[in-house]
Amino acid sequence: MSSGNDERLASRARKTERKLLCFAGIYAIAGMLVLFLEGPGESGRVALFAGIASVAAFFLVNIYWSYEGYRADCFLLPVTAVISTTGLVFLFRIDPAYGIRQFAWLLIGLLALILTTRLLVDFRFLGDYKYIYAVAGLIALLLPIFFGREMGGAKSWLDFGIFHFQPSEFVKILLVLFLASFLSENRAVLTAGTRSIGWLSLPGPKEWVPLAAMWGISLLLLIFQRDLGTALIYFGTFLAMVYVTTSRLFYVLSGLGLFVAGAAASFHFFQHVRARVEIWLNPWPYIDTSGYQVTQSLFAIGSGGVLGTGLGQGYPKFIPLVHTDFIFSAICEEMGFLGAAGVMILFIVFIFRGIKIALNSRDDFEALAASGLTALMGLQAFIIIAGVTKLLPLTGVTLPFMSYGGSSLVANFILFGLLSNISHEAENSHEK
Amino acid sequence: MKNNILRLGCLLFGLFLVLTVYLAYLQVWKGPALAANSYNRRFQEQEARIRRGTIYDIKGAVLARTEFSDGKGRRIYPEGTRTAHIVGYVSERYGRSGLESFCDPYLLGMEGPDRVRNRINNLLGREQAGGDVVLTIDSDLQGMAVELLGGRRGAAVLLDPRTGAVRAIVSSPGFNPNYLEETWPRLVNDESAPLMNRAAQGAYPPGSTFKIVTAAGALAGNPGVADMTFDCAGYIVADGYKLDDVAAHGKVDLRKALAVSCNSAFAQLGLNLGAEGFYRAVKAFGIREPADLGIPVRAGTLAPPGEMTQSELASSAIGQGQILVSPLQMALVAGAIANKGKIMKPYLVESVRDSCGGTIHKAASHVWLDAAAPDIAEIIKEGMVDAVRSGTAGAASVAGVQIAGKTGSAQNPQGMAHAWFIGFAPADSPRLAAAVILENAGSGGAVAAPVAGRLLAYAVSRGY
Repeated sequence: MSSGNDERLASRARKTERKLLCFAGIYAIAGMLVLFLEGPGESGRVALFAGIASVAAFFLVNIYWSYEGYRADCFLLPVTAVISTTGLVFLFRIDPAYGIRQFAWLLIGLLALILTTRLLVDFRFLGDYKYIYAVAGLIALLLPIFFGREMGGAKSWLDFGIFHFQPSEFVKILLVLFLASFLSENRAVLTAGTRSIGWLSLPGPKEWVPLAAMWGISLLLLIFQRDLGTALIYFGTFLAMVYVTTSRLFYVLSGLGLFVAGAAASFHFFQHVRARVEIWLNPWPYIDTSGYQVTQSLFAIGSGGVLGTGLGQGYPKFIPLVHTDFIFSAICEEMGFLGAAGVMILFIVFIFRGIKIALNSRDDFEALAASGLTALMGLQAFIIIAGVTKLLPLTGVTLPFMSYGGSSLVANFILFGLLSNISHEAENSHEK
Repeated sequence: MKNNILRLGCLLFGLFLVLTVYLAYLQVWKGPALAANSYNRRFQEQEARIRRGTIYDIKGAVLARTEFSDGKGRRIYPEGTRTAHIVGYVSERYGRSGLESFCDPYLLGMEGPDRVRNRINNLLGREQAGGDVVLTIDSDLQGMAVELLGGRRGAAVLLDPRTGAVRAIVSSPGFNPNYLEETWPRLVNDESAPLMNRAAQGAYPPGSTFKIVTAAGALAGNPGVADMTFDCAGYIVADGYKLDDVAAHGKVDLRKALAVSCNSAFAQLGLNLGAEGFYRAVKAFGIREPADLGIPVRAGTLAPPGEMTQSELASSAIGQGQILVSPLQMALVAGAIANKGKIMKPYLVESVRDSCGGTIHKAASHVWLDAAAPDIAEIIKEGMVDAVRSGTAGAASVAGVQIAGKTGSAQNPQGMAHAWFIGFAPADSPRLAAAVILENAGSGGAVAAPVAGRLLAYAVSRGY
C-alpha cells in the first residue's frame, strides 16, 4: 500500500482528534474563566493563562503527531485533556500554589508523552527486556525504604529537594511490561500446565516461580511501606493479566483466596489496617479523629446534590488532602452528581479505548500490555473513587490525571503514550 | 484471549457502573441528610455570607434581627427574655435553638425565589439576604404572662382555639438570649433550668384539670353519664387503695362534679370507662402525640392500658398517678372544649416573606383532632362555666368578661402541689384558650386561677 494512503489515514485520525480537542479546550478555558471572574487579580490571571497554555500544549502534541504521521487512537488525547484540565481547574480553585506546580507537571507530562511516542514507538522491542524491568522495578521499590520519606502515612517517597518522587507510580508500568512479556512467552505452558495434581494441571516451577517472586516481593515491599492502595492495584492488575493470558479462573480464584487470607491476617496483625476497616464500616464514632477525613468527604459529596454548588461555591477545603486523594469529592461538591458522573464516563471512555486497542493489537505481548495498562488505569481510578465515597475502605492512591502530584501525572502520561504506541503499530500492521 | 480481554473490559465497566449507581444514591438520596448533619460546617459558613432575616410578632414588633458592625453580623433580640423560649437563639459556640433553628432555611434565604436570587447575588459578589418570618404570638401578651408569673417556676400558654394560632408561650424563669455567651455556664447549671421551655417540654401531673378528658371519655362511652348522680362520701376505694377527696360533696351530677372538682365521681367514671376507654379518650385529645410546632415538644405519657391497675386507672382519671403532660397540651384540651370538641392544629409561624417582601408561606388553619362530639363539649363547658361562677375556679373571674375553666392541684413528690388552671374566654363564644401552671405553688384555685383570669382578660381587651 502506498505511503500516501498511510498519511491520509493518519491525518484523518489527527483531524478528528483536533476537533475533539477544540471542545476540550473550550471546556478547560471556560473553567479557568469562571475562576478568573470569581477571583480576579493575580491568581485568577495565572489560572487563566495556565488554562490557555495547557490547551495549547495539547494542541501542540496533536500537531506534532500529525507531522510525524503518528496513527494512534484519536480519542485518548481529548479524553485525557478533559480529565487533566478538570484536575487543573480544581487545583487552581483549591489553592493556586498547587495549580501552578501541577501546570508545570502537566507540561512535563506532555513532554514525557511526546518522548514516549517518539522513542518507544516500536513497542514490540520492549518485550525483550523483561528481567531488566523486574530488577529496575524492585530497586525502585527498595529505594524509599532506605532513603525514603514518610508522607501521609506511606513511606514510599524519595525526596529530591524541590520535588518528591514516588517510584511506585512508575514501577506499576514496569510491572505491566514485565508481566506482559513473561506471560506472553510462557502462555502455552501456563494455560495447559505440564504436570498434574489430581484433576488440576499446573505449570512447572520454571514458569511460575519468577512470576510469583516478582509479584510477591513487590507486594511485600508495598505493604512494608504501608502503601496499601498501590498494593491493591498491583494485585488486581496482576490477576487481570493472568486471567487474560490463561483464561483460567482457577488462578484468579486462588489469587482472590490468597488475598482474602492476606487481608484477614493483616486485619489481625496490623493496627493501621484494622483502624481503616473500622473507619470504613462506621466512621461516625471517629468523626473528630481518624474518621474525620472520610466523613468530611461524605459531607462534601452529599452537599453537592445533583447539580453541585457551582465552581468556587463549595467548601472542599474542609477535607484534608483534598488536592490529592480527595479531589473527586471536591468535584462531587461543586459539579454535583452530573459532573462526577461525567468524570466517571471519561474514565470509562479511556478504558473502552484501551480495551479496543488490546483487541486490535498484533500479538500477545501487545495485547497483554494494552489490557494490563488499561486495567491499571481503571482499577486505580475505581479504588480511589470508591475509597473517598466510602464504598471500599480508603487506601490512599491518586486519581489518575487529576490528583495533584508530578510522579503520578508523568507516569500516567507515559502509560497513555505506551497505549498509543500499541494502537499506532496495530494501525500500521492492518494497513500493510 | 480476545474473549478474555472483552470480559476484563466488562468487569471494569461493571465496577464503574456500580460506582455511578452508588454515587447517585449518596448524592441524590442521602445528600440532604449529609448536608444537614450537624458536623457539616457548610451551613455555618454559608450563614456568615448571608444577612439573616428578621423575626416579627403578629403586630409587627421585632423579635430578632441582625445588626452589622465591622462587617460581622450580630443577632439582637429586642424582646429579650420575654420571647426567648420560642424564638430561641443562634450562637456560634452553643448552636441554635427554637424557631431560629427551625426557620433557618427561610431566614437564610434558601427557600422560594430567594434560592435563585441569592445564588445570583453570590456569583456577582453582592450581599445575600434571607427572608422574614412573622409569628402568631404577641410580645405584649408574652410580657404580661411573664409579669403575672413573676419569676416563679411555671408556664403559661395562650392560643386561639378557632384557628390553632398560638398567642403566647411563656416559661419561667427565662434567659436573655442577648447575653447567652456570657451567662451560659450559669444557665446550664441553674437547677431551675431556665433554658428549658416548660410550656412545651414540661412533664407535669395534670391534676384535676385532666377531669375534662375523663369526662369527655365517659360521655363518649355512655351518654347517660350526663344525667347520672354520684354519691360522694369524701373518698373512694379502688383495688384496696383509698383515694381521698377534699370534701364529702354528697350527691352531685357531672356538671356539679366538674364545678366542685369531685375526685370520687371522676375516679368512679374512670373505673367505669376501663383502661382501654380511658386510653382512647387520652389519645383523642392528642396527649400522646407531640404537636408539630417547630420548637421541641414533649408528648404526654401515661401507663399503657395493659399495665394499668384499677388504682392507677382511678388515679389517672383525676390526673394523678403516672400521667404526665405539658401545659401546651392542657391548653389544647381547653381549646377543644372551647371549639366544640375540635382541636385545631397549633402553629407558631403566621407567614414567611422572602427578602423582597413576597409571601412564600402563609399559615392555614385546619382541624388536627376530633377530641369530642359538640354536645359533649357543651356539657363540659357548662361545668367549667360553673367552676368559675360558683366552684373551685372562682378566683379566675374578672369584671367584663365571662371565663370558663377548671383548676387543678397536682400532687407531686417535689413538695407542694402544682397549681393548674386551664380555661377559655369569653365563655359564650370562646376566642382564647389558656393553660397556666405554677410549680409547687399550692392550690390551683388560689394561685393559678387569678393569673389565668387576668391573662385571658388582658388578651380579650387587646382584641383577640
